[in-house]
Parts: sequence; C-alpha cells; structure tokens
Amino acid sequence: MTHATRIVLLLVAAVTISVAAQERTSKPPAAADWAALAKLPDLTGVWEAPTVGRGGRGPAAAPQPVPQLTPAYAAKKRDLDARNLDDTEAANCLPTGMPAIMGHPYPYEFLLTPGKVTIVTEAYQQVRHIYTDGRPLPADPDPTFNGTSIGRWEGDALVVETIGFSPLTTIVRNTPHSDKMRVVERFRLTAPDTMSVETTVIDPEALTTPWTTTRMLARHREWTIREYICEENNRNFLDAQGKAGVKLTLPAKKE
Amino acid sequence: MSATARATARALFVTAMICGVATSARSHHAAAPVFDLNTEKTITGVVKQVDWTNPHIWVWVDVQNTSGQVETWGFEGMSPNFLSRRGWTRASLLPGMRITVTFRPLRDGKAGGMFMTGKLDDGKVLTSAS
Repeated sequence: MTHATRIVLLLVAAVTISVAAQERTSKPPAAADWAALAKLPDLTGVWEAPTVGRGGRGPAAAPQPVPQLTPAYAAKKRDLDARNLDDTEAANCLPTGMPAIMGHPYPYEFLLTPGKVTIVTEAYQQVRHIYTDGRPLPADPDPTFNGTSIGRWEGDALVVETIGFSPLTTIVRNTPHSDKMRVVERFRLTAPDTMSVETTVIDPEALTTPWTTTRMLARHREWTIREYICEENNRNFLDAQGKAGVKLTLPAKKE
Repeated sequence: MSATARATARALFVTAMICGVATSARSHHAAAPVFDLNTEKTITGVVKQVDWTNPHIWVWVDVQNTSGQVETWGFEGMSPNFLSRRGWTRASLLPGMRITVTFRPLRDGKAGGMFMTGKLDDGKVLTSAS
C-alpha cells in the first residue's frame, strides 16, 4: 500500500465515522418517491374534531375510558389533586405536549412528503415530525414535549410510534407518566373526509393496562392553518400557588 | 305567539345552545376557576375596543353604571382562529357599536366575564362559545 493510498483510506474512514455519528441523513427524494405517495391513503389537508356546538358538524365525542393507574402513580395523582391546582400551565401558554396535543379544539394539517409525515398543529403553533423512511426509533432520545416519532403504513393505516417525553407533560391532567411511556397512534380514513385517530398510551410504570382512546377528525378542504401566538395577548394565568386568574387591565389603545 | 313570547322562546333556545356546549374543550385554559359558569348576566354598552388576538379575543365595552359614570368592562371570547371559521371577521365588532353582551361573570366580581353572545342594534347576534 502506497503512502497516498493510506492517506485516502484514512480520510474515507474519518468521513464515514463522522457521518455515522450524525443523525440519519435522508436520501434526496426521487420522482418515484413522490409518485409512491399518491398510492397511499390521502391524509393530507386540514382536519378538526367535530363536537356539539361546533357548527353542528358532528355528534358529541363518545365517552372515553379513563387511564388505569398503578398504585404508585395513583398516589402521585392523589398528591397533585390534593394541591387543588385551578388549571394547567397551558394557561401560561406552555404547550401540553403528547398525547394532549392531539386533543385540541383546533385544526391539524397533515403533510405527506417522501419519508415523512408532518402534522402542523394550530394550537400553540406546533409541529410533529414523523419519519416514515424506515429508520428505527432512537434508543434513548432526549425527552421532549411531543416526543420522537416514527411511522409506517400497515394496510390503510398510518401507525405512529412515539417515545421520549418531557417530565413536564402528563398522560392526562395531574397524571404523570414515566420515562417508559410509549404512544402508538393509528390514523385511518373511515370516509372520504373522516379520519379515525386511535391512540394507545403504554406505560408499564404508570398504567396497569394500555389506555386507548379514539377521536374522529373531519377534513375541511376550504380551511388553512392560521397563526396562533399564545403570548400575543394572554390575559390568563396560573400563579405559583396554583390559582388561576385573569389580567383585566385595559390595554393601551392600538392605532 | 306575541313578540314577547317569541323573544322569550329565542332567549331560551340560545340559553339551551350555550348550556349544551358548556362542557366542550377549551384549548387554552380552564374556564370554571375564573368564570362563574352557572351564572349568566347581560349588560348593554358601547364597544370601546376589540382585541382580535390569540389566545382569546377581548371585547372592551363602556357601560354607564347606576351613578351615571362610565365603566369599561372586559369580555373574553374564543380566538380569532376559532371565530373566523364560524362567521366572525375582525370587523364584526367595531368601536362605537352599541352591544348587549350576555356573559358568564368573573368570580372575583370585577367588571368582566366570558363573552357568550353579543346582540347588536341591527338584531344580529354574535356567538362565541366553544
């Protein structure tokens, strides 16, 4: 092996190690990748949950089961309930994170691109990134509000798995999760403009059994997603003692 | 049916609609700790300012109190996002309009509440309930 060959091999090895250490690099989409999207169920567009009073678009949501807590997490919930908190930090504009992010009375836009499904959630102006390029879930992702998601198509359903949640988020109000929480969602069209979202929360430390709920979304082809800056004029608050209130000072006249 | 009876029937219908949706989700904050959801009040005044803003619109109304002084009341509605998809525009309520607001009062007794409906002089009723 010549000296020059050795240098080239060392350089190749260095580049390879450097790439491996980075996040997965997506390959550039080819025409066939875009064409393949057209064969999938069309989940694209703006969706919102219809409820009573929402322009009469649909029936009230069916009663949902409640999470069954292990004794340790039932005790945690009792402690939080006993604090008699009026509200959640959402009153202070902190987003709820998963799974509550999917329960807002605001729309969601689904975008399908090669290797990825993106859910733009209008409330709190958030985005969920769901990779469908075959990558595995990372072994130990940093905890985040919306977690780390991958998706795959099972027949006509988009199945999304999410792990890695911030301890600031909860399963439901006053119900913490463990770092073992995993959320599996199945998105499926049940009619041309109706989508069923079945959400299963699995948490062997917090729940005695997986907790599954279903929410129906209706598509609004005529809608677009609007801006939602919670801090624009938030007059609600939850103070350090857990008391909710409203700031009622008249704002300065805006010209 | 007399005009009064019709008005009463309409008021009952509107009330029923409002009660029917009282338990719907509010994305941003819990209403019950700050507003008395079991009480409904009505007040008439002149729109002073409208904040067409997230996470809630605020309608400020100048109301003459019993001693003849003008007091400004603040009413929280839903968001521009929610309302613009249900018939409202940012010009639906403008300063100077005379309005009768039906609201759920603030629990602390201050001059404000949760905006439920606003009736304008031309008879139009704007509803802001999730």
